[in-house]
Amino acid sequence: MSHSKPIAGDFLSLLAEHRLEPTAPVAPAASAGAPVQTQATTVFGFHWAEGVLMAGDRRATAGNVIVTDRVEKIIEIDPTSVLAIAGVPATAFEMARVLQTSFEYYRRSQLQPLSLPARVRALARLLRENLPMTMQGIGIVVPLFAGVDHAVTPAEPRIYFYDPLGAQFQAVGYAASGSGSGTIRSVLSFQERYGQPRPSQMGLRDAVRFASRLLATASEFDSATGGINPATETYATIKLLKASGVETITDAQQKEFLHD
Amino acid sequence: MTEEPYRWLEAVANRREYVREQLKGGTPVLGASLPEGILLLGVGGGQSKVFELFDRHALAGLGHPADIERIRQAAIDAAHVEAFTRAPEDVSLRRLVGFGLGPQLKTNFEQIFSAPFLVELLLAELGPEPGRDLFFRLHFDGSYQTQFGGAVVAAIDAEAEAGARKWLGEMIQTKTDRKEAADLLLQAWWRLSENKPFTERLPEEEARRAGWREAAKGKEIEIGWLARRSSRPARYQAPTAAELGL
Repeated sequence: MSHSKPIAGDFLSLLAEHRLEPTAPVAPAASAGAPVQTQATTVFGFHWAEGVLMAGDRRATAGNVIVTDRVEKIIEIDPTSVLAIAGVPATAFEMARVLQTSFEYYRRSQLQPLSLPARVRALARLLRENLPMTMQGIGIVVPLFAGVDHAVTPAEPRIYFYDPLGAQFQAVGYAASGSGSGTIRSVLSFQERYGQPRPSQMGLRDAVRFASRLLATASEFDSATGGINPATETYATIKLLKASGVETITDAQQKEFLHD
Repeated sequence: MTEEPYRWLEAVANRREYVREQLKGGTPVLGASLPEGILLLGVGGGQSKVFELFDRHALAGLGHPADIERIRQAAIDAAHVEAFTRAPEDVSLRRLVGFGLGPQLKTNFEQIFSAPFLVELLLAELGPEPGRDLFFRLHFDGSYQTQFGGAVVAAIDAEAEAGARKWLGEMIQTKTDRKEAADLLLQAWWRLSENKPFTERLPEEEARRAGWREAAKGKEIEIGWLARRSSRPARYQAPTAAELGL
């Protein structure tokens, strides 16, 4: 990468100037002695009555080992953006950190927030730069992104999903990623078509309860999905993105909504 | 000419005089530490004087807008690189000014064949409590003074600045509310703008208030607020004068 003058407001080019840019090294071919990768699944997002709900289980696995049931896979990037990570946490958390710093850097230095298309592409750029790791089968990240579009009036939250190479797609009603996503997409598709109410018509309690039950269902078919277990106080990570900002649904709220 | 030491000294002295002359038209910026946060304030004719730097850091300055912009950008760059390579909690005003902005300004000031920075600056760092709020008063030549809590001023005339700071330091102790504090800072701004000393008896509060209202007519009151209590890392807000009830 060249070390010319950084592009105004672009944090990655500022890092490049200091030779600090995150890079995806080309690793040697995987050997029998290579450590088993930690993986984080399952995440999804759907439109509910007041915005977008993003949720994920809290399990990370390495092969058949459960590494932890306390991972936060739904990350607030800024008051108008939420990232849901599925894949290798080592890479995904670094991407989240780059995005958090990049968006704030742009807002502070340019005295205006980054547009939604630019925020969506910023994640696509990180995925493309991770291509060497993706092609080697290590460090794969397949995230979801939700952001508020302030170019329309009134402002509206939108959901985007990506492929591992960085292609971005806007989801009309919902999106899911990770090993349990097949089950979740099936239920979401059914509910969107035949459900009463549809997810996009649900109020807060119904939407949170629905999200918790989606994860519980996915965990019955996918051992890498942690699911919900009130007995061990294990709940999902749930964040709501509205035009007004990001809200976190606490474990206590989830417990209350599930017992209603 | 600069091969001879005394010529260099003369050039630097001329440069200091030139900068002070250029800064004469600038209006002061002020700041105060309050129980709920730090207030920074400036009054301008449309050009910004108060800025967010990082999560708990802000800047207010007077001088040439292009020079304020260069300093602001350098501070934002340094703070974000530091936060990314270490952690946001490691970004400190002491390191930002002491090891970054201060030396850069000094170097620039002493390079007599380049244009000097025409700036006088206030920088603020929000602490966990008012007594640990940190202010840096940074000058165009890279020199600086620090202060924990209280009230601070950046003005062109050093004597007037010291008088205003002393007066504000006494008066601000009874103020806990943002509106009251902003009103007080504006009274000091008016007094400084009118080139009236703080050593003689000041007009009554109502007269001072009427004074700043008259002087600020047609100008923009710019306010920066670093909130001590917030669920988000970024503490900076920019309320309007109307939002503060001024």
